[in-house]
Amino acid sequence: MDFTDYTFQVIAIGTAILGAVCGMLGSFAVLRKQSLLGDAISHAALPGIAIAFLITGTKDSNILLLGALVSGLVGTFWIRGIITKTHLKSDTALGLILSLFFGFGMLLLTFIQKQPNANQAGLDKYLFGQAATLLIEDVWLMAIVTCICLIVLLLFWKEFKLLLFDSDYTKTLGFNVKFIDILITSFIVLAIVLGLQTVGVVLMSAMLLAPAAAARQWTNSLGTMVFLAAIFGAFSGVFGTVISASQNNLSTGPVIVIVAGVFVIFSFIFSPSRGLLFKQIRFMKNRRDLELHKTLAFMYGIAETHQNISHPHTIKLLNHFQGFTKKTLKALEEKNYITISGTEWSLTQEGFKTASNLYNQQSNNDE
Amino acid sequence: MNNAQIEIQLIASLVAMACAIPGTFLVLRKMAMISDAISHSILPGIVIGFFITQDLNSPLLLFLAAFTGIITVVLVEYIQKTGLVKEDTAIGLVFPILFSIGVILIAKNANDVHLDIDAVLLGELAFAPFDRLIWFGTDVGPKSLWLVGSILTVTILLLFAFFKELKVSTFDEGLSASLGFSPIIIHYGLMSVSSVTTVGAFEAVGAILVVALMIAPAASAYLLTTNLKKMLILAVVFGVFSAISGYWLAHFLDASIAGSITTMLGLVFLLVYLFAPSKGIIAVTYREKQQRTEVSLLTFLLHLKNHDELEERHVNHLREHINWQKVRAKSVLELALKNNMISIEKNIVSLTKKGDAFTSKAINYIITNEDAQIEDMKDDFFLFRG
Repeated sequence: MDFTDYTFQVIAIGTAILGAVCGMLGSFAVLRKQSLLGDAISHAALPGIAIAFLITGTKDSNILLLGALVSGLVGTFWIRGIITKTHLKSDTALGLILSLFFGFGMLLLTFIQKQPNANQAGLDKYLFGQAATLLIEDVWLMAIVTCICLIVLLLFWKEFKLLLFDSDYTKTLGFNVKFIDILITSFIVLAIVLGLQTVGVVLMSAMLLAPAAAARQWTNSLGTMVFLAAIFGAFSGVFGTVISASQNNLSTGPVIVIVAGVFVIFSFIFSPSRGLLFKQIRFMKNRRDLELHKTLAFMYGIAETHQNISHPHTIKLLNHFQGFTKKTLKALEEKNYITISGTEWSLTQEGFKTASNLYNQQSNNDE
Repeated sequence: MNNAQIEIQLIASLVAMACAIPGTFLVLRKMAMISDAISHSILPGIVIGFFITQDLNSPLLLFLAAFTGIITVVLVEYIQKTGLVKEDTAIGLVFPILFSIGVILIAKNANDVHLDIDAVLLGELAFAPFDRLIWFGTDVGPKSLWLVGSILTVTILLLFAFFKELKVSTFDEGLSASLGFSPIIIHYGLMSVSSVTTVGAFEAVGAILVVALMIAPAASAYLLTTNLKKMLILAVVFGVFSAISGYWLAHFLDASIAGSITTMLGLVFLLVYLFAPSKGIIAVTYREKQQRTEVSLLTFLLHLKNHDELEERHVNHLREHINWQKVRAKSVLELALKNNMISIEKNIVSLTKKGDAFTSKAINYIITNEDAQIEDMKDDFFLFRG
């Protein structure tokens, strides 16, 4: 494979930009608990593409994407209508719009395919996306939209952040919540529509969610999360393109999604503060500490009954006690709480003091 | 109608029925999107099953694919339990990744697999009658007819056997657990039925239509009734109606049958959404408008009761003091007059006996925080609604 190849470069840059913008806006979708909205919108965009083609008869991707944008927005607002005006819940509304719009879109696509119009082939690339069809103009379009997104994000950063974490408070401060809400939702729709050509209708939602879900694991700050998500998205795009270009018969969309999925799994496991691995390690460490404390407290109970607290006792005494292991004994000796000589142990002055304060003081977490 | 056409409609109707039953419970349990997740993530199961069996209709493939569906549910629940992301994100992550694995498996083995992704998404109902089941040398009908038929039979048997348990655990999980029906078993039972139905139906109608057939009839029915049995029956009726009318739409347009059935489902839902008697958009909007006027009326009556002074009760004063626009003030005044709540003499408004009784009662409800009672009271007092 040739990395200096012009087409490859265009595609790689395109997918990188797409990944970045999806990561940025996806962060908001994930935090607003609108993750599945992306899935619904991307499916709902399909009839728009077909109708735009039926009306104009061209395959100019800008016009088709405009159609997708319109039908994506119609879907989004219908979902809102269903949720606010009826007692159907959001999951039902999402599933309804997703499947009904998509089915209608497929009806139109198959209808178009039967038409005697030589121009019609290739519309189904929007189903799974074909990064190979990306042109430099498309990449420019993506870059421009990304720039607009960035500007709007920076301009309305404070408002978005407020709305995200406390919408009632935002309202009381006098911000136009509805406007901000519509603004951010429209940009999410825009990002999804941009990705249709590359990743396709079916997998677009993962493109939006995965980088954001991965970024969420590394930080609690919104700014860092958006930034990280953009980087994860961009890398997924580039890696996905490289992998799919180096193999035959691999469409780019699914590969990008899997690369993004690997980012997510890696973050889930290895993130220092939230990750499963470190959580497990912390859990085990806490359990060891607890057992150590239990042993010490037990020893304290024995030593208390003697005048001389350092009177030696045999280790056998501890045998019926669950917290005791050879390891804990060693750890206690290392901490200078006990001394061991042969098969006998005795509490040191320091150990006695620590043990007597074990349940009094609150700040001895890191024993 | 020739034989193949009848068979296609029969298969479509059976699929619609088999989907509507679990779909109703998914909608009620707020798990509609799970069906979307399952319908996508069974793809790798189907592909692997196909590698092993080389036969799209083999029971092993069905089992493997349904198993992938259940794995999806378990995975989503596991990710959700770790607390790293919310449930919706967990769903949104799991199924595209599994689906991508399926797509890549197909692409890498394109030469060995006669599986088309378009067919997975859309199904090809039109070809279903050509794949016949030969039993002891006699042709007993299309294979998918038997497959879907048996899934439907099992679903109906399970529905009758566990109707009570399903009902209780759907509406009150705590009660069902305390009565000794494990909500977890019911939950996974429902998930298994949904998975098997999705797999059985996917070949005939495709992954997306399965989602539409599960959610749309149930959602439409839910807007029309709050009785579980009626909802199930309505959902089945809507499903079958859309299946048959969708087939003829496809026939007429020469387009995909699955797409047409979905479109019919969409039309049915749209009609119900707009015109459902008490929960449709039109009814809701009308009711909201009515209540706005009636609240204004109540405010107006309270104002009259509070003020004995003549100038406070002058017709023109209404607009100044309560700050209503002209049209609104007029419609409220007319409504009050029509209901014999007020009398107007020389442009001075005063409460009638009936109006006074109504207002006193309303105040009573408001100060005892039982505002909801006012709604019932309106039926006793009002001759005309707002």
